[in-house]
Amino acid sequence: MFRVGVDVGGTFTDLVLEAVGADGRQEVFVHKVSSTPQDQSIGVVQGVVELCAIAGIQPGQIDALFHGTTVATNIVIERDGAEVGMITTKGFRDILHMARHKRPHNFSLQFDVPWQSAPLVKRRNRIAVTERIMPPTGHVEVPLNLDEVERAAELFAERGLEAVVIGFLFSFLNNDHELMAKEIVKRVMPDAFICASCEVVNTMREYERFSTAAMNAYIGPRTAGYLDNLQRRLREAGVNAYVRMMQSNGGVSTVEQAAKAPVGLLLSGPAGGVIGGRWTGEACDQHQVITIDIGGTSADISVIRDGNLTIKNPRDTEVAEMPVLVPMIDIDAIGAGGGSIAYVDSGGAFRVGPRSAGAEPGPACYGKGGVEPTVTDAQVVLGRLDPEQFLGGGLKIDPALAEAAIRSKLAEPLGLSVKDAALGVLRIINNHMALAIESNSVARGIDPRGFSLMAFGGAGPLHGVALGEAIWAKNVISPLHPGITAAMGLLVTEPRYEFTRSALSILQAGDTSSFANIGAIFDKLESEAKAQLDSDLIPAAAQRFERIAECRYVGQGFELRVDVPPGAFTAKTAEDVAKAFYAAHRTEYGHAFEDQAVEVVTLRLIGTASADTLRLPALEKGGRRNPSDAALYSRMTTFDDGQTLETPRFDRSKLKAADEVTGPAIVTQKNSTTVIPKGYTATVMRLGDIVISRNGKGN
Amino acid sequence: MSKTIDPITLQVIGGALHAIAEQMGNVLYRMSYSSIIRESQDLGAGLFDLDYNTLCESDSTPMHIGSIPGYLRGIEKSIPLTDWQEGDVVIHNHPYFGASHSPDIGIVMPIFYCGELVGFSANTAHHLDIGAATPGLIIDVPDVFAEGMLLNGLKLVEAGKRNETLWRYISGNTRVPGLVMRDLEAQIASAELGVKRFCELMDTYGRATVEQASKQLMDYSESMLRREIAKIPDGDYFAEGFLDDDGRTRGVHLPIKVTVRVRGDDVEVDLTGSSPQVPTAYNVPFEGSTKVACYFAFRALLLDTYTNTEYIPQNEGSFRPVKVTAPLGCIFNPIAPAACEARFNQIQRIVDLIIKALAPVLPDKCTAGNAACLSFASYSGVRDSGDYWVLIEVNEASMGGRPTSDGPDTIEELMRNTRNNPLEDLGMHLPVICDRYEIRDDVFPGAGEYRGGMGVVKSQRFLVPGFMTHESDRNEDVPWGIFGGGEGVTAAVRMHNHTKDTPPIDVPAKISGLRAEAGDVITYLSPGGGGYGISLKRDPAKVLDDLLDGYITPEHARDVYGVVVKPVTNGYQWGLDLPATAKLRASMALG
Repeated sequence: MFRVGVDVGGTFTDLVLEAVGADGRQEVFVHKVSSTPQDQSIGVVQGVVELCAIAGIQPGQIDALFHGTTVATNIVIERDGAEVGMITTKGFRDILHMARHKRPHNFSLQFDVPWQSAPLVKRRNRIAVTERIMPPTGHVEVPLNLDEVERAAELFAERGLEAVVIGFLFSFLNNDHELMAKEIVKRVMPDAFICASCEVVNTMREYERFSTAAMNAYIGPRTAGYLDNLQRRLREAGVNAYVRMMQSNGGVSTVEQAAKAPVGLLLSGPAGGVIGGRWTGEACDQHQVITIDIGGTSADISVIRDGNLTIKNPRDTEVAEMPVLVPMIDIDAIGAGGGSIAYVDSGGAFRVGPRSAGAEPGPACYGKGGVEPTVTDAQVVLGRLDPEQFLGGGLKIDPALAEAAIRSKLAEPLGLSVKDAALGVLRIINNHMALAIESNSVARGIDPRGFSLMAFGGAGPLHGVALGEAIWAKNVISPLHPGITAAMGLLVTEPRYEFTRSALSILQAGDTSSFANIGAIFDKLESEAKAQLDSDLIPAAAQRFERIAECRYVGQGFELRVDVPPGAFTAKTAEDVAKAFYAAHRTEYGHAFEDQAVEVVTLRLIGTASADTLRLPALEKGGRRNPSDAALYSRMTTFDDGQTLETPRFDRSKLKAADEVTGPAIVTQKNSTTVIPKGYTATVMRLGDIVISRNGKGN
Repeated sequence: MSKTIDPITLQVIGGALHAIAEQMGNVLYRMSYSSIIRESQDLGAGLFDLDYNTLCESDSTPMHIGSIPGYLRGIEKSIPLTDWQEGDVVIHNHPYFGASHSPDIGIVMPIFYCGELVGFSANTAHHLDIGAATPGLIIDVPDVFAEGMLLNGLKLVEAGKRNETLWRYISGNTRVPGLVMRDLEAQIASAELGVKRFCELMDTYGRATVEQASKQLMDYSESMLRREIAKIPDGDYFAEGFLDDDGRTRGVHLPIKVTVRVRGDDVEVDLTGSSPQVPTAYNVPFEGSTKVACYFAFRALLLDTYTNTEYIPQNEGSFRPVKVTAPLGCIFNPIAPAACEARFNQIQRIVDLIIKALAPVLPDKCTAGNAACLSFASYSGVRDSGDYWVLIEVNEASMGGRPTSDGPDTIEELMRNTRNNPLEDLGMHLPVICDRYEIRDDVFPGAGEYRGGMGVVKSQRFLVPGFMTHESDRNEDVPWGIFGGGEGVTAAVRMHNHTKDTPPIDVPAKISGLRAEAGDVITYLSPGGGGYGISLKRDPAKVLDDLLDGYITPEHARDVYGVVVKPVTNGYQWGLDLPATAKLRASMALG
């Protein structure tokens, strides 16, 4: 059995191959190649072929390939999606143009309005047709004018549009008109990508639903083209494995499903990292984990509670400032990374980021023409990144260039020493990251003191302990392969499909028939999910279903999620759901009103299945303290408290299970460096992950 | 105590203060019930020191930002600093004691650290109904007492114990207690969070360091604004306009006169010469509204967050360089007991006229005339159960053309920045139905190298009999073009009945307590912004875009922009005829 995970980032494509022999013996191989932004599938296939060579197998032997991609996201960021046509309700042609009518900046006159300056559907291609569905029951006040739909489709065909979205008001109550219009468009434009808003996301709130459907159509044709390319190139390279795509909700889906609902791929890239973080946490017996994936330009933060991913409140899911109401892991991206530039602004303030030196020219120490000091330069000046260890010695770095940049751009203008300026860069960037972590934890009633902080991405373990200290984390985890964690996450995912329906109903005012109706909707959604899992050839015994009610107090505008037990929905179920809602409300806002009526807004059903999971070989037991055969050399290193100490280096590949390394120390490996300050001890776990704790505090 | 904080700690504390204010704002709007708070986010929240300086404020609605110090100074008249106790919650909305206007209820909690009063955690939010003469909104009322409950620095909670008598009094004097009381609870939760987080910040860095950092952050924001003011040549800059009427005396315009005096790095806005106060609620509270509008204008013009990449903390510092003068007894500084609830259109015009006055010396930072108004509509009625339903809705407008871009269409401009109500959400709960919500198609945009934004048209239909009040303006004074740009478009309000065949009739922008019948439809058409620069310089490709998108006609393209189009066969009907355009433009330029 050979399974491969491929995670494509902006700079590198990371790969992991897991080989399980007939005897059950396992081996894991990792690889990194440069990404190929013009067509990511080129780099993917090249990496797969090279990795097979490293592992000594033929590409045809791979059984399964799991893929996380930024293709869909990049189409949105670069705004090079399809020309889309929209058919909508007469009188409401410009819902996508008006959005929620709030401007993106308060204190600005010159601001840009992305949904107006670069719309998903241009006004000329939004055609309003006669039809009217009325709330609150969904009865038809004015029937759909089929001729108008046909004429619109013919015009779109004449204009050569590649995709069409159909969005009518109140279709969440009655989708007959949308589906009728879709059939007509399909007949007129058999080759176009066509979707109705009720199929993409069947929930209340017209702008958000239309925007989600329009986004799906906008990225549809090009994403499908990429997936075709990928499958063709894989076949040409002799790979016959089945391919599964990482989705924003943390599960995987088939290529066919991804091509139909590409809007589910918008967080495909970073999701693997969070899954990898959860899995590493479990391997270290830590089920409360805050993950931070630190790259060159940004850091992605997520929280794992009781071993569960945090799913974003569906009211907050946005991509490129436009709402996309699909389930997404709650991942907060901030502009802070190793390449973040430090500078003194025109008012004399000391700032770091969000501007980044990126891969080109990169930090000053790369010697590729960068003259502005970055976070990486500060690490180099403080002696934490050894030139000969950086990327395994694969990239030359020049400490003198780092020092010159910090001296001239920061230390001299601010009247600080080079050391203090470099420490300042780290303090400021760590503070940005710590505040972002707090707004994703403390601000939501999560106490980081009970959580492990897992810092990964190549630069993660350099910042881990400083961040853990800032947020009072229980301990800090440096995973086995910090630079490849996201690709490893792909090998521990499972299929996950979500189906929703709006069904407004007040729990305390319900009667037998309204409760039965909720139960019937859940049953119907479950049969849809089951059909999807069946078509993925997943045996019924492996299929699992979760029921969720998204609820609010009657009159509120934001819903919270509550689990619903399987089986019939009875008055008792309603009572339990209301109680669970009070608890969720108290956690989220610190208050709950137990005498108030609770309204169900959306019913959500999630179909998943247990799947094969990555199993890493356990390390040989060491149980040693500062093992001498892993020790490399010592060097002067400056820590966050300003102390410069003679600090030993340890080779991570030579550490064994239960070995301890006491700070001050630095653990090096090919793609990453882990800093262990004085007063901390690092313990090597069973599979090679490292848990760092303050002395006198347990794990 | 006065030792300067190092620049690193300063950034760290600045970031923490910003995060606290954002969290306070988030709790308030997510937990609240009424659509005006939860959907529109008509609210503000922040932390304040003992001198009532703003330390930080949530980035919610500009109107609220900068208004809370006025509340605190007003509350001091009833509660001196010595009378605060830990666990107090004070409620305040008196427009003659610093409130922005009476529906914007302020909730204030003292912050005690180690037993000493160190500051305040406070927020404001617009409440749906405070028991005024008409449901939701008011215009034609005789005095401030007709605005509803006046709560002047009252302790709603005293040392942790809620005053149940006051709580019941408030609950019994609003038409929608189920929403208002829960919204007040959300405000208290937000203020409690601010108290807790500020104490934690002091635990981490020490009180002296936090206080010193706060002072330096204010100085920093002040110096950034002063530096920009200093770049404007010293002088007196003047602009004027007028309002339609006061909502009662039809046909009598109300003048607004704005003089901006720049002296070094100080600036004064002098409103002398503007209309005397009026006998309706169409006056503007000075402390909580007039001054706040002037502060906003200079921040938006000079420290534009889109063109400036540097984050400038939102605090008292940016208010200090701006002095505001309005003679007592004028519309911008009324004398009690004049009513002053309906004040938003007037302050929008102050900001727009400040921009107009300074445009000649700030051509790269200004805009052409903006819609600079606010359509505030309240729909209400009584359900069969006897309970009231009330909907307050803000209708967007548009902006004028700008130095390098068109004016945004259908957007919340200047002092407002709320979100609209999803039509589908309203339809599920209220007996009104929206019949039309799109871009106005009955007018052309303000012409220019960069055109004015397009306004909105929105029609709401009553499904049952009810009441309606509409607070708006700008049916008569058209947004101006600038640097050769054409003028924009005025607003209109129309009414008809869905079940009858009679044509719509035009009505004034302000309607007080109209009794609507089932089927009555109120249509609002918002103003369109003016154009920036000469229309003959507009990129022909953009003119074609406007034609294809249905904003202009081929004749308008030719006559106003000198752009000639010709038929094409790609399904889009029209394409550019560039040689003919060049020729026509050359001849039009000659005149």
